[in-house]
Parts: sequence; structure tokens; C-alpha cells
Amino acid sequence: MQKMKKRKRNAKAGKSVKGGRGFGGTKSGGPRLPNSLLSQFPVLKPHNGGLGTDGNAGVDDEDINSDEGEIGGLDVYEYDEPMPEEESMKNRRYDHVDNFEYELPEKFEDSNVPSDDGEEEEEDYRGFKDIKRSSNSDVLSGNETEEEEDNARHDRMLQRITELPAEVFESRPQIRNVVSEAYLESEYNPTRDILDGSGHLTIQDLLNPIQGKPVYTEFRKRMQRLNKKSLTLQPPLPKVAQENLEREVAYARSKKDVTKWEPLVKRNREAPTIFFDEDINLGFSTVGAITSEFEPRTDFEKKMASLVHDSKVAEAHKEDGAKLLELNKISLEDVKDRQNRLAKMRSLLFRHEMKAKHIKKIKSKTFHRLLKKDKEKRTSIDVQMDPEAAKELAMKQEFKRAEERLRLKHKNNNKWATRILKRGLAIQDEQTQAAISEQLHQHALLTRKMNSMKDSSSGEDDKSSDEDDDDDDDNLDLGMKSDMASKLLTKAKEKTFEVMEDEDEMPKSGVFSLPFMTRSLAKKSEEARAEAKVALEEYDLALNQHDTDVPNNRNKGTSSGRRVFGASIKQPEEPSHVNNNIGRDSDDEDCEINKNVNVESARSVSLQKGVQIDIDQLNEEFDVGQDFESFDHLVRGNAPKTTYESAVFASGSWSGKKNPNVAGSTNRKPTGVAQHDSSFDNLKDVDDNDDPESGEEMVDGILSSSPKPDYELPSQADLIRMAFAGDDVEQEFEQEKIEVLNEENPEPEKTLSLPGWGQWTSLQEKYGLPSWITEEHENAKRRRDEALSKRKDAHLKNVIISEKINKKAENLHTKTLPFPYTSKEVFEQSIRVPIGPEYNPVTSIVALNRPEVVKTAGVIIKPIKFEEVNPHEKGSEQNLNSKRDTPKVKKNKPNNGKVIKATKTAKKKS
Amino acid sequence: MEDDKKPQLISPPAAAKKDALDELDSKVKKYLRGSGADLEGVKDKKLRGQLAVREDLYGESAKAAAKTEKWLMPSEEGYLEAEGLEKTWQIKQESIVQEVDILSSRKAFDMILPDLGPYTLDYTSNGRYMAVAGRKGHLAIIDMYSMYLIKEMQVRETVRDVTFLHNELIFAAAQKKYPCIYNRDGVELHSLKEHGATLKLQFLRNHFLLASINKFGQLHYQDMTMGEMVANYRTGLGRCDVMQVNRWNAVVGLGHSCGKVTMWKPTSSAPLVKMLCHHGAITAMAFHPGGHLMATAGQERRIKLWDLRKFEVLHTYTGNAKSLEFSQKGLLAVGNGSSVQIWRDQSGDHKYSRYMSHSMVKGYQVQKVAFRAYEDVLSIGHSMGLSSILVPGSGEPNFDSWVANPFETGRQRREKEVHSLLDKLPPETIMLDPTSIGNVRPEKKKERLTKKESEAEMQAAITAAKSAPLKNKTKGRNKPSKREKKKHEGIARVKRPFLDQQLKEEQQLLKKKQRISDDPQLPKSLRKFIPKLE
Repeated sequence: MQKMKKRKRNAKAGKSVKGGRGFGGTKSGGPRLPNSLLSQFPVLKPHNGGLGTDGNAGVDDEDINSDEGEIGGLDVYEYDEPMPEEESMKNRRYDHVDNFEYELPEKFEDSNVPSDDGEEEEEDYRGFKDIKRSSNSDVLSGNETEEEEDNARHDRMLQRITELPAEVFESRPQIRNVVSEAYLESEYNPTRDILDGSGHLTIQDLLNPIQGKPVYTEFRKRMQRLNKKSLTLQPPLPKVAQENLEREVAYARSKKDVTKWEPLVKRNREAPTIFFDEDINLGFSTVGAITSEFEPRTDFEKKMASLVHDSKVAEAHKEDGAKLLELNKISLEDVKDRQNRLAKMRSLLFRHEMKAKHIKKIKSKTFHRLLKKDKEKRTSIDVQMDPEAAKELAMKQEFKRAEERLRLKHKNNNKWATRILKRGLAIQDEQTQAAISEQLHQHALLTRKMNSMKDSSSGEDDKSSDEDDDDDDDNLDLGMKSDMASKLLTKAKEKTFEVMEDEDEMPKSGVFSLPFMTRSLAKKSEEARAEAKVALEEYDLALNQHDTDVPNNRNKGTSSGRRVFGASIKQPEEPSHVNNNIGRDSDDEDCEINKNVNVESARSVSLQKGVQIDIDQLNEEFDVGQDFESFDHLVRGNAPKTTYESAVFASGSWSGKKNPNVAGSTNRKPTGVAQHDSSFDNLKDVDDNDDPESGEEMVDGILSSSPKPDYELPSQADLIRMAFAGDDVEQEFEQEKIEVLNEENPEPEKTLSLPGWGQWTSLQEKYGLPSWITEEHENAKRRRDEALSKRKDAHLKNVIISEKINKKAENLHTKTLPFPYTSKEVFEQSIRVPIGPEYNPVTSIVALNRPEVVKTAGVIIKPIKFEEVNPHEKGSEQNLNSKRDTPKVKKNKPNNGKVIKATKTAKKKS
Repeated sequence: MEDDKKPQLISPPAAAKKDALDELDSKVKKYLRGSGADLEGVKDKKLRGQLAVREDLYGESAKAAAKTEKWLMPSEEGYLEAEGLEKTWQIKQESIVQEVDILSSRKAFDMILPDLGPYTLDYTSNGRYMAVAGRKGHLAIIDMYSMYLIKEMQVRETVRDVTFLHNELIFAAAQKKYPCIYNRDGVELHSLKEHGATLKLQFLRNHFLLASINKFGQLHYQDMTMGEMVANYRTGLGRCDVMQVNRWNAVVGLGHSCGKVTMWKPTSSAPLVKMLCHHGAITAMAFHPGGHLMATAGQERRIKLWDLRKFEVLHTYTGNAKSLEFSQKGLLAVGNGSSVQIWRDQSGDHKYSRYMSHSMVKGYQVQKVAFRAYEDVLSIGHSMGLSSILVPGSGEPNFDSWVANPFETGRQRREKEVHSLLDKLPPETIMLDPTSIGNVRPEKKKERLTKKESEAEMQAAITAAKSAPLKNKTKGRNKPSKREKKKHEGIARVKRPFLDQQLKEEQQLLKKKQRISDDPQLPKSLRKFIPKLE
């Protein structure tokens, strides 16, 4: 295929070349040549044609190695030019052009193909170069003589190489006026020479000189044989095609390779759980184990090992330390060595120190700046290069930050800054301002992180907390309080002293220096001083008092009594007394309560004996109750009957209540049921008196303990009542149901038509209501019926099931069907079994709740390893006992749910 | 004959094995909680694989659970069995008491308290403590294990109902004006005045809600942890003194005087279900612990069993009942007059039949019957005190200390209190079918848009398309005419789906109309006799 394509392509190329020639005549070889130059070509032609026309030249193969052609073309000069295709008007493929110019032969060889003979090629190449050079020089200089000389030289060279007589070369046409190529020479733009085939050697050329020599025939024969037998070597495929092929093969191969993983992957995919934590080898468990496994590797280690495991040393250790001393001999050389080394180190250190001192002493600012810069650069590089340095730097920065936060050095409260600020920042010169701002900036920089971490600045917090502390002092315990108070007092004293001292300094200039101002100031200061003195005295007093108080207090304890810490020991008497009183009171109360309880409990004797409570009193109470309004009326004595009668009464009251209801409901009906009603009511009244049969018996006082369930035929009245009882209720219920249904699906409104509206012409009367109204009505009706038939209680006559959707309960349902499920039933069935520990035996909880991937933290998941898996195994079976047939693979081996069990069983079997 | 014999000879071990397997299978089924999804229907391969693995795990878990059940639940409930012509309901308590062991025989007793009755009672969930309330203000807590009277008191006013809260330390009593909460020592902790004069009290254990119904038919739910009133609804059906909680889904059932039963949850003001159960007033109702069975008794001498999944009557019996109660194992106690009957579902198809009967002294009126959990004991509160009888096969023989422990120590109780508070469920979890929690949210009713609405929507879409900015195209394609064309195209594109929808609907309507209006047309002369539509 590839070859064929290639051929075709070549053919096309050839054709296009031809076509081009048909048009422009000389288009094939680069630039259009002037006619004067073209007239030179006939000289060239015969030689050229001889080379080009035979063998497969008809197939117009230009790219193919043209050895054959060259060798085959023995009759070099016998070339009769075939008619060009365009002239023969074949197929009328070409526009008819009057060709007045000479044309290049139709076929010519492409000599730009490497020939088999390396030497020849080389020569070719050289020759060609020479020609080119000469031609170039020709054009440039236009010097004929030089050109001739060149040619002669070339001929001579050829002669020397080929050992052919000079005539051969002389017969060559002399191409003089060759125009240099306009384009750069390349495979796409072959030079004229190459296209023409001039400067080309054939084997024939080489054979000619030995013609007549004994070897010649042999050579010739061999050559002929070669020619006959020679197979055309296929040119190598283009790279793209080659790669395509390669890829195809590689794909097929890798496909096969990959398919072997399929069952493995399938198994893993189907497994409900994949395990990655099997066979974790934690390695050594004890220090001893680790050390025992130690093998000395480096020289140093080996040396150490040899010393440590030296039998003598071991022995010495075993017995007593005395022998160790003997073993611990040091040679003189060793000591000297050591001393030397130490001396060297020391000197180095000293030099370094000296250097540092010197550098420190240098006053040049530029030097230091440069030094600093250098250092920074180095550190920055260091930081970038190794993480440890970066870490160190970070630590350093952090330390600085912490320090800054603690010291607040850059926060304008050092002496210098305060002074400047006091004097006013605006007055200062630029440098100081810059310095101040720089300092502030530094502070900001250093404390920034903290601020970013917490929103509130800690400084403020501290202050506020301090203040809080001060405020809280009152609440603190006394010991602490006293200390704090004394401190405060002393502080206050100091402050006042300071103030007094400050006031002594009078302003000596400005407005304040005016006499009346000074006077007034003095007055004020005196007043202030007096106040301060008073304050001081007070402070002193307070301090003294406090000093005396503290011990007293310690003795006394606190009056509050609640918060007593270590210092206070004695409880104040009075409060304790009060407390005792309270305690006593409460005790008394408790006692009373207890007594009450006791009394109560005493009063209420055990159940068995019956509760003895004044029943009359009770009855009185009950009289007030609504239920027992007429209780007394019914009660005849304290006999057990009474209790029952209350029940009777209760039922009576109920029926009494019910009657009007019934009556009301019946009254609503327009039908003739009302007639029944009066009699029905009467009957009911009668019934009420003797409603429960057993009750009657009870009232009569007949106590019979016969176990027989005695059944009496219902009386006529009863029968009637039973017969008619239901009607009312059922209808009522039906009505109710309809109402409920209407509430949910309202009945469609009746067709809207006002009387007389639209009926004033006979036409309208004739057609009745417009059809769309009736249609709509019908549709609405149908819709309602459909909705009603979908209800759960559609077929249940006596049941109304609410269809209301509870919005709160919606959260208890799954909103939408979860992804892989497509049917609601399947999903609901899949979650029907609870998987919690309350509902399942211990043995299955783990299996039920196992995650998809089981892996302990820190275990490295290695890539999957190949193993033989039977691909035809059944899926479900495999899921359950997959391990039975899979060989054990380390760690990364994925398995599924039942694996552990399966292995166990397998072991047992084996 | 031989053919018959052979299998008999061979079968016993095989049959035993098979029986055991069957039993195990049934147990496994119980733990599997229904069948798995049909995997054939699942198209997603991956999902199918995952589900298959899941199902296998579930199966294994269920199997393990079924196997361990053998060891964890060793005892089985017993029943009375009659021989020959004897009937189980003819066996009297005296004879049963004589037969059972001493400990059990102590559980049957009678307490005569003639003055302050009739009595109502309530047990803690573990069945160890009983709260007793006499109508005339007598309150007491008894440790049923040691028969020790922990506290007894007289509140000197009407007490209509009593119920324990989450444990025996606190109980609520519905008193004359409002319910009060007392602790074990008889100290009144709270008075819940908002509830009004309550007739019945029920405590929802998992939600820590106290539900009450008062004289005016108002249903209150109050949170017992934070004290907040969760809900207050008017039933609108008058006075109601029948109230029971369905323990399975914590839905409160109310029996009304008009024969209706309503079921409530605290998050909806309308009843979940309203059903007409009886023609007469409802006198008693009870829910099976399984949650799907309800028994109601009406004044018209009917007792009905209802299937709560279909809301249909299963069986109807004739008889009155003042009080109904299902035991843990599904026995139904029916208290009426001075006798108590116990019914049992013999065949497993909810066809209850008489199992035992007990009659007290004539004249005692049963007020309340209550089974004791984890014991074969039924307590009866009546007008003359309390009595307790033995009912074999009523209680769950094996207790789970994670659920309720009858032998709880103080420390365990405290621990459990904390746990139950942590596990407290919010009120919205109460619904008719609590198993639907976690399922996909039921779709809201998609209301079809009216013509007006759809038109408005279309208009909005068109205006949006009109105002949408046009891209600046290259020269020649940016002419005003082209731009205009583009705009029109955009509008048409937007309009299309709406128009399509309309067309579709119209066609459907036409089809339907054709179907409907197949009825023959009357001749013109007769048309005037057709009544006109109003």
C-alpha cells in the first residue's frame, strides 16, 4: 500500500512538472531563464536525454535511483526526442500553446539520490560544487578566460580521477552562461546541474578506460548480471507511515497486555470492600530487636563494631572495670595529633574572631551596608535553597515578633519617641519623622500576625483586663484585697508627690509668665497642693488603718461568710447563729412536714384495710363538682352501691347530653324521619333508665356469682332502637365525608347563566348555553371525579382518610431517588433492613457497616500487582469467597467483604 | 399399608430436621423484614451487584439472629389446654392458682377497697409498677414484684385517669379541674392547667408526649421534657372518654359518642382517619401491639375487630364492653359488668374466640382491665377495688432489657432515662405508617395548569425571549432584517412547546368528547322537552 501511494505521488509530481513545462517552458528549474540562455540548452540535450530515456524512464520515476537508467543507457548519444504530450494533444488535457521555444526533455533523471557507490557520489558532489562555484564566479565576474581556465582545471581533475582520455571530457558541452539560482539550494530547489545530470558519473564511464583489458569482459558480465537480477530496492517508508505502523503494532500488543488485567480490575470493582491493610509489617517492636538487627555498613560503623564487639572489651566489661583501664591505652602519636588538631582549630577560631572584630570596627557605612546586603542575599538564597534555613528564619521572625509584642520597643513609648512626640511631630525634620514612621511601621510589621490572628488587639485587652481586675478587686477575697489596696494607696501617694513636684516648675515664658497669670497660677497651685496634702494624709491614714485592719480581719473572718478561702478560719458568730436559726426553722418545718406526712400516713392506713376518710366530707366536696351535682340525691347510704350509682349517673348525664344533639341533627332533615324521632326520643329516655342490664341487677341488690354469661333476648324497644339507631349516624357521616371531599376538591361551579341573559332572541334560546360553558363544566366535573377516585378512602364508605401532606414530616423522607436507583420500590426495599447494632447480631454488624475501602492510616497503597484470576468465576460467588482461589499477595492486594472468613474456612479444610 | 409404613419409619429424624428448618426459616423471614428487591428488574449492572451483596449480608444477618434467638429467647408462652369435653373458659381461677408455682400464685389477688372506687390503673412499660387511681381521689403506686405499697395518697378530688410517664418515678393523674403530675413520693410536681378537666390520659413513650382529652373534646399534646404544649386540637365531636394510643405508630385513637373513631397525630389539626365504627357510642377501644389490629366496642352491643391497614371490619361480635385491652401476645380482654372475658386468636386469622372468662362478685363493675407486661397477669380495676387474675399466655415470656427490664435497678433506670431522652423522637415522626420514614417523599399532587395560567406562562416566556440580547454577528449577518428574523425565530421556538401542549390537550379532549357524545341526538321536535341546564 505504502509503496503504491508513493508511486502515485511521484507520478503526480512528475505530471505537475510536465504541466508546468507546458505552460512556462522552463518553470521546473527555478527562475525563468532568458531566451538567450535557453538557446544554449540544445547543446546540453543529447547527453542528458541519453541518460534519461530508457528502462523505467517511461514510468517517469524521478525519485527512484537512476542507476539502472544510467547503466542501461549505453547509447548515450542516440536519443530521439519523443513528442511531448501536450503537443500530441493526448486526451486534450492541455491547452494548446504554440511552442516556439526549446523545451527540456520530458524525462530526466534526478541525480539527487544517493548512489550506491560512495566514492562516486563524493566525486559527483565535488564536481558539482566546482561547477557551481565556477558558474557563480562567471556570472559575477564575467571573465571568460578565468572561466575557461576553471573548466580546464576541472577537466584535468576528472581526467586524473577517471583516467579517461581528455577527449571524453572535451566533448562535453561547455555550459558557460548559467545563471545562479535565485533560491537557496535545497532538496526542494535542486540546482540546474543536478536536474540536468551534468557532472554525473556512471559506471559506464568508469568501465570505459579498461575496455580491452582482460578483466573488462568479466566486469561487464558481472555488471550485466547484476543489472538483470537486480531487484529494485524499496525506498524506506516515510517516517509518519513508519510510526503509524509501529503504533498499530504497539497498540495491538498493549491491548493484549492490558486485557489480562481485566478480570483483576473487574474483581476489584465488584468487591463491596477493598482492603489495603492486610499484612502490615510493622517491623521491629522493641529497641533490642532493632539493635540486634543492626549491621555496620560504613567504615566508621565497622570500626566501632570491631571495638564494641571486641572480645577483650566485652570480657573486661563482664568481669570488672579494672581491665578496661589497661585496654584504654593511648599512643603518644595520637595525643600529639589531637593536640595539633586542637591548636589548629583554636588558631582558626582566633583568626576568625579577629577578623570579626576588625570588621566591626570599620566605620565605613557603605562597607557595612554592602556587608549587610551581602548577608541578606546569602540568607535569602539559603532560605530558598534549603527548608531548614527557611524554618530557622521563620523561627527567628516569630521570636522577634514575640519579643516585640512583649517589649513594645517600637511603639513610640521609649524615651526618644515620647520626647519627639511631646514636642510635636510636625516640627521635626524629615529624617526624624521618617524614623518615627519607620519605627511604627516596624512595629506594625512585627505585630501584624498577631492582629490578623485575633481581631482585637491584645494590648487593649490587657489594659481592659487590668482595669477589670481593678474593678474586680472589690469582689476578690480579703487577703488579696488588702494587699492590692495597700499597693494602690502607695501608688496614689507617689502620684500625688509627682504632681506636686511638677507643679513647682513654673513656666518662665509666654503668656503664663505675665504677672497676673503667675499669680493666679500660684493660687491654683497652692490650692492644689493643699488638696494633695489632704489626700496624702488620707492615704497615710488609710494605709495605717489598713495595716492594722489586715491582721484583724484575718482574725475575724468575713461577714459575708460565703467566700472563705484559706486565710479566714473562724466563722463569724452572728451569721452562723442566724444560719442555725434558719436551719432550726427549716428543721422545724421539716419536722412539721414530716409529722404531717406521718400523720397522713398514719391516717391513711394500708390499702388492705381500706382507706378511712370521712366520706361525708368527701361527699360534700363532690357536691361542688359538676359531675356529682345530684350525687347526694342519689346516694342512700355509704354502701358500695353508691359508687356504682355515680357511674350510672355519669352515663345518664352523657345520654342526656346526647339527646338534643340527635334531635338537632334530625331536625335538619327535611324528610319525614321527624315522625320517628319523637317516639325514638321517648324510647331512648326509657332506655336510659334501664340501659345496662347488669346495672339493673346491681341496683336490685341481687348478688349472684354464677359464672354463666346470661343472655336475655333484647326487648322490643331495644330491637327498634337498634334498627333505627344507625340510619341517622350513617347519613351524617356521609354528609361529613362529602363536605371533606368538597373542601379538598371543590365541586365545580354550576354553569353561569343569569335568568333572561342571552335569551332575548329566539336564536339564542334555540342554541341554549354556549358550548364552551357546558364543556368547561363537564371537564371540571370529570377532573374532580378522577381526583376523588384516587383517594385512599374512595372505596371505603365509612372512612375518611386525610390526604393532607405534613410539611414537617417531609424532612423525614428522602427528597429524590438517590442516584443509581431508578425505581422507588427497589430503593425502599434496599433500605428496609436496619443495619445498626440494636437490630443485628454482633457477628454481622461489622460486615453490614464495612466501608468501601478499609485502610489504616499511614499504609502506602502500592500499585496493583498482576495475579491470575479466573475470569469466568461467578460474580456473586466471587464476592463471597474470592480469596479461596487467589494466592496471597502482599499489602496492596484488594479483597472483599468475606475474605477473612473465607481464608479461615479454607485453612480448616486444608 | 407398607407404603404408608415405610415413610413413617424413615421420616422421624428427617421430619424433625425439616421442622427445625421450617422454624428457622420462619424466624429468618421475620428478621429479613420483607423480601428483597427483584434484581432482574434492575438494569444498572453495578447497582445490581451491590444489591445482591447487600441482600446476602442481610440474609446472613437474619440467619444469625434467628439462630441466636434460640438462646436469647428460651421460654415460650403457654396456654390453657382443655381435655375432652372441658372448655378452657370453664377453668376457674382457683384451679389455675392451685396448679401454678408459688410465685405465680401470689400474682392473683383481690383487693377490696369499697369506699373510693371505681378504680382505674396503669402499668409501667416493664410491668413492674402499677399506679392505681380511685375515682374519689385515691392514688397509689405499688411495686408488683414485692407487692410493696410505695406511696398512697388522697388528693380529695375526682380522679378520672392515671398514667405513668416514662418511668415509675413520675405519674400523671387526671383530676377534677386539670391533670397533675406527681412523683413517686407523692409530691405534686406540676399541674397542667391548660389541659382542662381531662377525662383520659395517655403517654407516648418514645415521643415523651402526654396526650389528654378533656370534657370539651379538646385533645392536648404536651411535651414532657421541655413542658411545651405541642398541640391543642378541637375534635368537634363532643365529650369523649375513650382514648387509646396505638403503641406501634403512636397515633392516638379517640372513640366518640357518635360512633366515630378518630385517629390523631400532634402535627395535624384534622384527624388522620375518621371512621364510623358503630352506630352507638363507642364505649371502649384497644390497639393490638402489632399496630394493625383495633378492637372497638359500641353501645349497640357490638364489638368489632378492625384491620388498620385496610380500615375494614374483620369480625363483628355481639357484646358490650366497658374496657378492652390487648395483651403483648395478642389476647383480648373484654371487661363488662362484673365479668371479664379473655379472647384469643386461636387459628391465627384474627378470628378471636372465647379463651377464658372470669366473673367477680356480682355487683362489682369493671372499670378498667390492664395486662401486665412480661407476666401472665390481668389486672382489673373495678368499683370495689382491684383484682388480679392469671391468664396463661398473655405476656411476652422473654424480656429484652434494652426495651424494658422488669428487674431494673436504680442505676439501670437512670441510664435508660438518659438514653430514652437522647432517643426521643420529634412529634412529626408520628404518622400512620412509620415504616415509610426514609422512603422517597410522596409526590405532591401536580395540579394541572389552568388555561389562564398556561397562557400567562407562555406570555412570560415570550417576553423573556424578546428581551434576550442578540449576539453581534459578523458583517452582512448583522443586518436589521436578519436580526429581526432571528428574534422572531427565537420567539417561535419558545412558543412551540406551549402550543404543542395545547394541541395535545385539545386532541385528547376531542377524542374523549367523541366517546362521550355518542348518544343519539333527539329529533328536533323533541328537543324542547330536554330540561335546560340551569
